[in-house]
Amino acid sequence: MDSSNHTPHTPVLQVEGLNVYYGAFQAVRNVSFHVNPGEIFGLLGPNGAGKTSTLSAVEGLLKPHSGDIRVVGYSVKDKPLYARANMGVQLQATSFQPELTIAEIIQLYAGIYGVALSKERVQTILADIKLQESSGKRFGELSGGQQQRVSLVIATIHNPQLLLMDEPTTGLDPQSRRQLWERMEGMREKGHGILLTTHSMEEAEAVCDRIAIIDHGQIIAIDTPQALINDHRDNPEVIRASRKGKITLEDVFIGLTGTAIRS
Amino acid sequence: MTTNIPSNANVYTALLKADLTTQWRNRRASILVVLVPTIILLSWKGLVDKFGGAFVLSNCITVGLTAIGLMGYSNSIARDRDKGIFQRLRVAPASNWTIMASRLTVQLLMIIIMTTVLFIVGYKYDNISMSAQGYTIGLLTAIVGGAVYLSLGQVIVGLIKNPETVNATTRLVYFAFIMIGMFGELGVLGKEIGEAVKWSPYGTVKHMVGTGLTPSAWDTHTTMALLVTIGYTIVFTALGIKWFRWSPK
Repeated sequence: MDSSNHTPHTPVLQVEGLNVYYGAFQAVRNVSFHVNPGEIFGLLGPNGAGKTSTLSAVEGLLKPHSGDIRVVGYSVKDKPLYARANMGVQLQATSFQPELTIAEIIQLYAGIYGVALSKERVQTILADIKLQESSGKRFGELSGGQQQRVSLVIATIHNPQLLLMDEPTTGLDPQSRRQLWERMEGMREKGHGILLTTHSMEEAEAVCDRIAIIDHGQIIAIDTPQALINDHRDNPEVIRASRKGKITLEDVFIGLTGTAIRS
Repeated sequence: MTTNIPSNANVYTALLKADLTTQWRNRRASILVVLVPTIILLSWKGLVDKFGGAFVLSNCITVGLTAIGLMGYSNSIARDRDKGIFQRLRVAPASNWTIMASRLTVQLLMIIIMTTVLFIVGYKYDNISMSAQGYTIGLLTAIVGGAVYLSLGQVIVGLIKNPETVNATTRLVYFAFIMIGMFGELGVLGKEIGEAVKWSPYGTVKHMVGTGLTPSAWDTHTTMALLVTIGYTIVFTALGIKWFRWSPK
């Protein structure tokens, strides 16, 4: 057991001066932001902008060159297990042991997060996400939408204060995507902080309370979606990017990051 | 704000339950690991009178240990790393060593099962009978010997990321170990190779297990073989940990 200086109003995630290198290449440059409780914070950027590197540093999967990352007041570097105990993660390409059923996977992660779950409780959880008939199925046998529901359940099994979601709606049909948005908004209402990376402007506008646009490893804009649109509507690059006259978040994004395709 | 993190024991228990379930559901592969040395044991029945039960049994046990460490362990690690299973575990409050301890416990169990099966088959079908002390020390030395091959498997997954390449490499190394080890020991490949094999991981493990089965024959050479085996384990483990990357990229 350990205590942090975190209070109900302290950000659930604080990133200060984050720098990430892969060899000589600097993928993340002096990135700073925070996520408040009861907030969905979006990290937008083109391919290779540094979103996943930033997220991986927060998750503790890679060691940054410098910077401070705190989850609910716990340093990811000095108290990694405490930080991880307070965050739930939905990776971009989640994979679980292919031999285990989804009920067994839920039991495994409940055990790892220290949550005691009876078999009946597992069935209740699966019923909540309409998968009670699939409890004996393997993860790979589920559809994309079903997999995302299971991944989200596992990410939130321990009721974390911070939830990290890496492009969670990629590959989902519109219904599944809307369902996931509703679940995210439900979690926000409960006071969880969510850090979301996405390529989708529609998603960013639909669910995010604040957005950071990251390009070439640096945050180039950070505010609410509407404020970003208002602040950049007179930017010539943004106007040039706009279609049909109305400035959208996508126009702001293209105007700030350019039209070149990133590999 | 206070956070309770689950104890290492609870995390280990949850992981072990999942890893044992995974191993059970892959039992076809596990059966093969036990079947190959069993078939060798049965086919070598004629050599028991010539070379002794301990020689035959220790060779078969060493073949099984090589399969468990090189093929079973390293292939499962490489596959799970490639699928991103470790990435998912590592974003949870499960320390790296707890994740690995669970995996190694399963392999330890496989070593115990394999060795016990060979003891039983050797007794029933090859009339190989050892003292209780012999069986006990034989089992313990098999566990120590298994550690060499597990650590060598760790080196391989540390050096190679692609699971198909790991699979091919471990099969090659397994085959080389068995062929050179068995024939080298029998002197078929010449005196120099025979001497080299004697101090290779195959030779030291085989000798240690063989003498463990007949403790009265324990001598300085056996003690040296034990120390060299431990030395191999330490070196391979250090290299395997240093080179191992949890990420598939």
